[in-house]
Amino acid sequence: MVHGILLARVPLVEVDDLVQDVFLRAFTRIRSLRDEASFGGWLASITRNRANDYHRSPREVPEALETDVEDARADSSQIEAEAILALIRSLPEAYRETLILRLVEGMTGPEIAARTGLTPGSVRVNLHRGMQQLRKKLGDREALRPQVDQQETG
Amino acid sequence: MKQDYLWDRSGEPDPEIEGLENVLGRFRHGAAAPEFPLVTPRPKLRFTRSRRFWQLAAMAATVALVFVLWTVLRRPQPGIAPLKGWDVARLAGTPRVGITLLGGAEQAGKLAVGQTLQTDGQSRASVSVDDVGEVQVEPNTRLRLLESAPSRKRLALDRGTIRASIWAPAGEFTVDTPSALAVDMGCAYTLHVDDSGAGLLRTTLGWVGFRLNGHESFIPAGAACATRPGIGPGTPYFEDAPEALRAALTALDFGPAGERSAELNLILKQARTRDALTLWHLLPRVEGSDRARVYDRLAALVPPPSQVSKDGVLRLDQTMLDLWWDKLGLGDISLWRHWERSWSQHQNGDNNRP
Repeated sequence: MVHGILLARVPLVEVDDLVQDVFLRAFTRIRSLRDEASFGGWLASITRNRANDYHRSPREVPEALETDVEDARADSSQIEAEAILALIRSLPEAYRETLILRLVEGMTGPEIAARTGLTPGSVRVNLHRGMQQLRKKLGDREALRPQVDQQETG
Repeated sequence: MKQDYLWDRSGEPDPEIEGLENVLGRFRHGAAAPEFPLVTPRPKLRFTRSRRFWQLAAMAATVALVFVLWTVLRRPQPGIAPLKGWDVARLAGTPRVGITLLGGAEQAGKLAVGQTLQTDGQSRASVSVDDVGEVQVEPNTRLRLLESAPSRKRLALDRGTIRASIWAPAGEFTVDTPSALAVDMGCAYTLHVDDSGAGLLRTTLGWVGFRLNGHESFIPAGAACATRPGIGPGTPYFEDAPEALRAALTALDFGPAGERSAELNLILKQARTRDALTLWHLLPRVEGSDRARVYDRLAALVPPPSQVSKDGVLRLDQTMLDLWWDKLGLGDISLWRHWERSWSQHQNGDNNRP
C-alpha cells in the first residue's frame, strides 16, 4: 500500500527510498497510534504527508540514477509501461491512488478499502471513474498514434 | 451481487484490465518489509474515574501546558534534535542517504535503521559503525542499515563494494547480501556484490564467516570466498593458491555436477599445506569415496588431533571437524559456534513476535 501511494505521487526512482523513510517515520511515531484498527489509514496518511514533503523540499537527482532510468528505457515494454503509469498519474489524486493500488500493486477493491481506511463505496467509485478516465486517455493516445507515425515517416 | 472484475476480480476477466495489470505489474513492490525492533503496545486507558477526577486532571494539564509554553518561549530554541543513526561522511562525489544528497553544505549525514546509502559512479562515503568500526562505501553501491542494537549491528549490501574494519566483539557485526550472510569475527575485509547478487569476500585481517541456510565458510586473512544466489558460499581459498586449484574450485562449487570428480582430483593434486583451509571446507561438500580422498590428503598435509578419527570425520562429526579446524590455526571455531547459537535464538525470537 505504501509503495502504491508513493508511486501515485513521486518519481519512480525515488519510491523505494521513500518507502523506507515512511516506515521509519511510522516506527518512530507508532506510540501516537491510539486505535490499532485504524493503522492502515494512519500509515496511509503518513505516506501521503511524506510525498507532500518530498515535493516541498528542493533536490537534485544523482547522475547515476538518471542513467539507470535511461538504460531501463531501452526496453520498449518498459517505455509502454512508464507511459501508461504517466497517464494514471495525470488523473485526479483519488483516482490515481486507487487505480495504482489495484492495477500495479494487485490489491482488490475490498483490500484497498480495508488498508487505506476509505469506505468500500468510495473505493468502488474511484476505481470505476478512474478507469473510465484512463480508458479515455488511452483511447486519445491511440487515436494520436497514426498521425505521429505519419509525421515521422513523412 | 453483480460480478465485477475491476472491483474484486470476480467474474469474467476484463481483457483490457488484465492487460494493464500485466504491463504495470513490473512496478509492483517486491522487497521485504523493513525489520524494526518490537514495540510494546501502549496500555489502554480505562475511563472509570469520576467526573470530578477528570475536571481536576484537565486543570492540572492546563497548568502544566502553560508552564511548558512559558519555559519553552523564554529559553533560546535548542534547534532540531539530532537524528539517531550511524554517522556518514562524504569522501567523494555526492553519496545519497535516504533522499538527502551529501555534498556542498551537507558533508555528513546520519544513516538510520531502514534507510539506504547509495553511491553513484563518482561517489564514495564512509560510515561509522556505532563506534565499533568503519565501513568505506565504494562507487555504485547500495547499502541499507537493518539493525543497530548494542550487541547487534546489521547492514544489507544490495550491490557494490564495501571495505569493513571492525573492532566489535566477534559476531556483533553482520552484512546481508543476496546470496550469503557475512559475519565479522574480528577483522577487516572487502565485500563485493554484483548486479546478479553474486558476491566475493576477501579478508585482510582476522577472519570472517559466510553463511546461507546452514551452508558455511570461514575466510581467514589472505583468503577469499565467492558466493552465488541460490547456492550460497563456495569453498574458501588462499589468494596465493595455484591458479589451477582456484579454477577447479570454482567449477566444483558452481559448475555442472557431472564433472566434480575430475575437478576434485585436480584440487587434491595441487593442494599445498596452506590449502588445508580449502580441503577442510570440502569435507562436508563432497560425499562417499570423494570425502575419504579429501580426508587422506588433508591428513597428509595437517595430521588430525588424536581425538579425531577417520570414521568420525566421514560421518561429519561436528566436534571432530571443529577440533581439526582449530588445529589449522586459522581462528577459534568456538567463537563461531557461540555466534550461531545467539543468532539462532535471535531469529527464533523474531519469528515468535506477533
